[in-house]
Amino acid sequence: MSKFIIRKVAVLGAGVMGAQIAAHCVNSGVPVILFDLPGKDDADGIVKKAIAGLARLEPAPLARADLARQIEVANYDQHLDRLAECDLVIEAIAEKTEWKHALYARVAPHLHDKAIFASNTSGLSINTLAEGCPESLQARFCGVHFFNPPRYMPLVELIASRGTHPALLDRLETFLTSTLGKSVIRALDTPNFVANRIGVFSILAVLHHTERLGLGFDEVDALTGPLIGRPKSATYRTADVVGLDTLTHVIRTMIATLPDDPWAAHFKLPAWLETLVGQGALGQKSGAGIYRKEGKKIRVLDPARGEYRDSGAEVAPEVAAILAERDAGRRLAALRASAHPQARFLWAIFRDVFHYAAHHLSAIAHSARDVDLAMRWGFGWAQGPFETWQEAGWQTVAAAIAADIAAGHAMSATPLPAWVDTLDGVHRVEGAFDAAGARFVARSALPVYQRQLFPERVTGEAERATRTLWENPEVRLWTLDDEDGRHVPVLSFKSRMNAVGPVVLDGIIEAVHRAEREHDGLVIWQPAGPFSVGANLKQIRPLLEAGDFVALEGIVAKFQQMSQTLKYAQIPVIAAVSGLALGGGCEIVMHATRAVCAQESYIGLVEAGVGLIPAGGGCKEFALRTSRAAARTATNDPMNWLQGIFQTLALGQLGKSALQAAELGFLREQDIVVPHAHEVLHVARQTARALHAAGHRAPLAPAGIPVAGRGGIATLQMMLENMREGGLISPHDYRVSLAIATALCGGDVEGGSLVDERWLLDVEREQFVTLLGTPETAARLVHMLETGKPLRN
Amino acid sequence: MNRQIQDAYIVAATRTPVAKRRGAFRHVRPDDMLAHVLRAVTAQVPQLALQEVGDVVVGCAMPEAEQGMNVARIGVLLAGFPDRVPGVTLNRFCASGLNAVAEAARRIQLGEADVMIGAGTESMTVMPQMMGNKVAMNPAVFADAENRAIAYGMGLTAEKVAQRYGVSREDQDAFAQASHEKASAAIAAGHFAAEITPYAVREHLPDLAGGAVRIVERWVEHDEGPRADSSREGLAKLRPVFAAQGSVTAGNSSQMSDGAGAVLLMSETAVKRYGVTPIARYRGFSVAGVPPEVMGIGPVEAIPRVLEPAGLTLLDIDWIELNEAFAAQALAVMRTLDMDPARVNPLGGAIALGHPLGATGAIRVATLMSAMQRDPALRYGLVSMCIGTGMGAAGLFERV
Repeated sequence: MSKFIIRKVAVLGAGVMGAQIAAHCVNSGVPVILFDLPGKDDADGIVKKAIAGLARLEPAPLARADLARQIEVANYDQHLDRLAECDLVIEAIAEKTEWKHALYARVAPHLHDKAIFASNTSGLSINTLAEGCPESLQARFCGVHFFNPPRYMPLVELIASRGTHPALLDRLETFLTSTLGKSVIRALDTPNFVANRIGVFSILAVLHHTERLGLGFDEVDALTGPLIGRPKSATYRTADVVGLDTLTHVIRTMIATLPDDPWAAHFKLPAWLETLVGQGALGQKSGAGIYRKEGKKIRVLDPARGEYRDSGAEVAPEVAAILAERDAGRRLAALRASAHPQARFLWAIFRDVFHYAAHHLSAIAHSARDVDLAMRWGFGWAQGPFETWQEAGWQTVAAAIAADIAAGHAMSATPLPAWVDTLDGVHRVEGAFDAAGARFVARSALPVYQRQLFPERVTGEAERATRTLWENPEVRLWTLDDEDGRHVPVLSFKSRMNAVGPVVLDGIIEAVHRAEREHDGLVIWQPAGPFSVGANLKQIRPLLEAGDFVALEGIVAKFQQMSQTLKYAQIPVIAAVSGLALGGGCEIVMHATRAVCAQESYIGLVEAGVGLIPAGGGCKEFALRTSRAAARTATNDPMNWLQGIFQTLALGQLGKSALQAAELGFLREQDIVVPHAHEVLHVARQTARALHAAGHRAPLAPAGIPVAGRGGIATLQMMLENMREGGLISPHDYRVSLAIATALCGGDVEGGSLVDERWLLDVEREQFVTLLGTPETAARLVHMLETGKPLRN
Repeated sequence: MNRQIQDAYIVAATRTPVAKRRGAFRHVRPDDMLAHVLRAVTAQVPQLALQEVGDVVVGCAMPEAEQGMNVARIGVLLAGFPDRVPGVTLNRFCASGLNAVAEAARRIQLGEADVMIGAGTESMTVMPQMMGNKVAMNPAVFADAENRAIAYGMGLTAEKVAQRYGVSREDQDAFAQASHEKASAAIAAGHFAAEITPYAVREHLPDLAGGAVRIVERWVEHDEGPRADSSREGLAKLRPVFAAQGSVTAGNSSQMSDGAGAVLLMSETAVKRYGVTPIARYRGFSVAGVPPEVMGIGPVEAIPRVLEPAGLTLLDIDWIELNEAFAAQALAVMRTLDMDPARVNPLGGAIALGHPLGATGAIRVATLMSAMQRDPALRYGLVSMCIGTGMGAAGLFERV
C-alpha cells in the first residue's frame, strides 16, 4: 500500500453530525473545511451558526474551545473549487437519496483524482448512493458511519460499495483509527448496517416487552442500565436524550427498508410515541418527552393514562439478587426461571436480541466479533450480544431460545440458524465466527493494529501474554511475554481505580530503581480502568480518624519522594495516560520524564474538592513552571501565570481533553497527545526508547527559583476576600484556596526570594497537613468516600 | 475658605463619544484621545494663543502603560501645542477628571494662570485587568480586619450599599432602564451633538487575503453604550455577579468604557482679552472620605461640603450629573440626600452612557456646560461621583 496522507478533510453538511465530525477533525489536528448551503443574509451564515452551536453542545465536541476557529467555513455556491485541496470528503447531509445524489453530481467535478469520497449515512444503501457518483469516482466512494457524539462514541462503521477499491478502505481505516482515534468495524451494505440494526431492534424489543409485561418506563430504565452493563441513561432516558423524533425516524427506516425481516411485524411505532412526537414532546431538547422535569422532580409518562406520574421505580430485590450473580450462565437461567415480571422482561430482551443477531449475522457483519464490538463502541454496552450468550453457556442458552421459539414466546417464530447448534461459541482463541463463510476469522492484519498492543478484546478472545518481572501487593512490573523485558517494562497498579496509597508509592519508587539498574526506561500504564483517581482516601481514613498526623505527614512526604524519584530518574519514565488522571495521578503525569496521553484523558488537580491541596509536588511544579515562564518575559512576573493556575487549582478544574490539560498547564510542550487510547502504550514505549537513545539523564535540579511570595499571596487573597464577602465561597473554601495560594507563591517570604524545590515541597506539605487537621476537610473526605461526590461546606 | 484673587470661568468644553470597552475605540490610544480633545477644546476659541495655556491638568485613574508616562504631557505634545505648555497627570480614581477641572480652576483663582485646561482620558480597553496591568495587593491589608475592605471590588461595595440602604433589585433595574431610556432619547434629540467632537478612527488591519496592510477609517459620532432595546425583562434576567444572594448585575452597573473630555478655563482678564462669552463660573469642589466597603455613598459626604460654603442647598441645583457607578449607590445617595430625581442625570448616566473612569468627570462637565448653553433656565449645576476605596467628590458650577 502506497503512503497516502490526508492533508485536509471537507465535510459537506453542517448539521449536528457534520459540524461535530468537522470539530473532531480539528481535535485531531486535521485541517477541515465545513460546507453547507449558502445562507440568505450571509453566504456562510449556516456554517458559522453551526460552528457557534458547537460551544453549546454537551459533552463538548471540541477538545479545546479555541479550536472552533480552525474549522474553515465554506458554501456550495462560492467555494466548491476548494474541494480540490481535500484528500477526504465526507458527506453528512440529510438522509434522502435524491438530495445526496444531487449533491454528488455537483461536487464530483471538483474533487481531485485521488480524493476519497465517503457518506456518513446512518442506514441508506451505499451501493445505491454510489450510483449517484460518476464512474470515475465509484472506486473511491464508500460509507463512513460515525456515531453521535462523534468525539466520544468510538465506533465508525466503514462500508464498501461493490465498486470501492479495497486499498482505499485500508487507508481510510488507518486514518480513522490512528489519526481520528476511532474504532472501526467493516460493515456490510445492509439497512442500518450493524450497530443500529441490532441496537434499534433491541429498543423495539424493549418497547414490545415493556408493553407486554405492563412495566413502567422508569422501571425498565432501572433494569436496562448499568445493572446489565449498559449506559446509565438506559433505554427510555437515552431515547429522550437522542430525541424522540430521531427514534421515530430510525424505526420508520426499519419499517421502510426491511419489509421482509422476520421480525417486521414488530417494526412499529407505539401509539404513545406518536402522540408525544405529535405534541412536540421530543425529549430533552423540548423539555418533555418520556420523562418531564417538574421543578426538582422528574416525572415519567404513564402511557395508559397519557399523563406524567412520579418516577423512581426500583428493581425488585429478588431480581437485583439474580443480577448480582457473578456467573453469567446461572444469571440468565435464573432470570428465565423467575416468575417476576422484571426478570421475565430481562430474559425476553436478551433472548430476542440473541435470536435476532444470530439470524442476521451472516447478512450484516463479517463476524460475531464485529457485532459485539459495534454494540460496545456504538451503544456503550459492556458486552455485545454474542459475548453475553457465549459467557452464559452457548448451547444451554441456545436450547433455551429454541424452546422459547417453539413455545411461541419469542418475538419471531423463525428458528435459530443451523450453525448455532454446530458450535460451542462464536469467539475462539483463533478468531470469531463468520456465519456467511462458516469459518472463524482472525482480527484484521492491517499494519495500523500493530500499534495496539492490547486492543479491546471480546469475551472469549485470547489476551496477549505478559510476564511479571516484579510485583508487590498493589503494583506489577511486567513485560510482553514474547519480548525480552530488558528494554522498557511497564508498571501497572492493582488498586481499585488505580488509586495511589503507600504500597503503590513504594512500588513506583522500587520500580524506578529496578528500571535504573536493569532497563532502558519505564512506562507507567494501566491495562484497565483510569490512569489513576489519585490518593487512596480509603487508606488515609483510619489514620485521619485516629488523628495520627505524623503518619499522614509521612505519607505526603512519600508522595513527594515518589514524584521527585520520577522526575530525577536516570532512565526515562513515561506516564502513558488515558481516562482520568486526578490529584496524585496528575502529579505522576507532571513529574514523569514525558507524558503520552490519549486525547480522551481527563487530567487535573482536584484536591480542593476534598478540602486539600496538591501536595505530591503539584503546587511545587507549578511554582517552578511559572517562574520559568516569567523569566522569559520583560517583567519577570510569575503572577501573570499564577493567577490562572491558582483559579484552576482552587476550583479543582479538570482538563477535559489532553489538549485542554495542556492549555491549563498540566501537560508540558514536550508531552505527546495520541488520538487513539489503545495506541498510547505503543507510543509511550517508543518514546522511552527514543529518549534512551538520545542519552537521557536526570535533569539538573533547579537552583534559585524566584517565587511570588507574600505579595503574590495577598494579591490572590484579594480575589478570595471578594468571593467570601459575596457569599460565593465558604470560609473553608477560602482557607483551602489560601493554602493553594501560599504553596504556589512559595510561602510567607518576600516576592522574588530565591528558593529550591525542597523549600517548595515543605511549604505545600505543611499546608496540606494543616488542612487535614480541620473538621471541614475531614467531613469532605468522609463524604467523598461515602457518596463519591464533593461536599460543599 | 472663600478668599480668592479672581474667578475662574469655563469658556469651552468638549468630549469624545464614549465607546464600550473593546468597542469603537479598541484600537485608539488614550493619549491620542486626549490630544484630540485638547485640540478640539482650544479650537472653540480660535483666537487663543496656545502658548498662553498655563498648564494642562489631566485626570486618569490608571495612569500606566499606554496612559502612563505622564499622559498629560504626552497628550499636549501630540496635540501640537507649543513646547512651553506643560502638563500634569492627576489621579483620584473616578473623580480624576473632575478634580483636574477643579485644579485648573484653582490655579486661575490663585492668580497663577489666566488660561488653563482641565481634562481626563481613560481607555479601559488597554487595562488587562480592571485594576491595571499588575495587581499587587499589600499583605498588610489582610493583617488588620479594618483594612480588608481595601481589597473589595467595586461591585461588592455596591452590594454592601444595596444591603445597608435597602435598595431592591427592582429599583436598581428600574433606575438602569430609565438611564438607557433617557440616554437614547437624548441621542435621538441630538442633545449630545454640541458637546461631542467626533473621532476619526484610523486602523491598520492585516488583509490576509491581499497580503497587505489595510487602512480602515471610521467616524465615531455617538456614545456607544445606550441601548434603545433595553428592557426591564431583559435586565431582570441578568444574574448577580458579585454576590451569591446579590442584586448588582452587569445591567444595573456602569459600563466599562473608553473616552476623553477637556474643559477650557479662563480668568476674567483672559475672557476680556480674547473677547469670549463664558458659559459658567466655577463655584467650588469638594472631596470626602467614607468607609471603603461602602465607597458608593461618597457623594453623600461630598455634596454638602461643596454646597454649604456657596450658601446653597440641593433645592437650588437645577441639574445634577451624579455618576451612576452602580444603580444601588446612585439610588442610595439620591434617597439619603433627598434629591429630586427629575434633576438627576436628565440625559442618562454611566449605566447607559459609560464610565471611562478618570475621564468621566471632565466628560460630564462638558455635558453640564452643553445643557447650560441649551437651556437658559439652568443656573446651578453639580457634577458628583463616588470614588474607589471610599471617597466622594462634587464640583459646583454657576451659569453666567
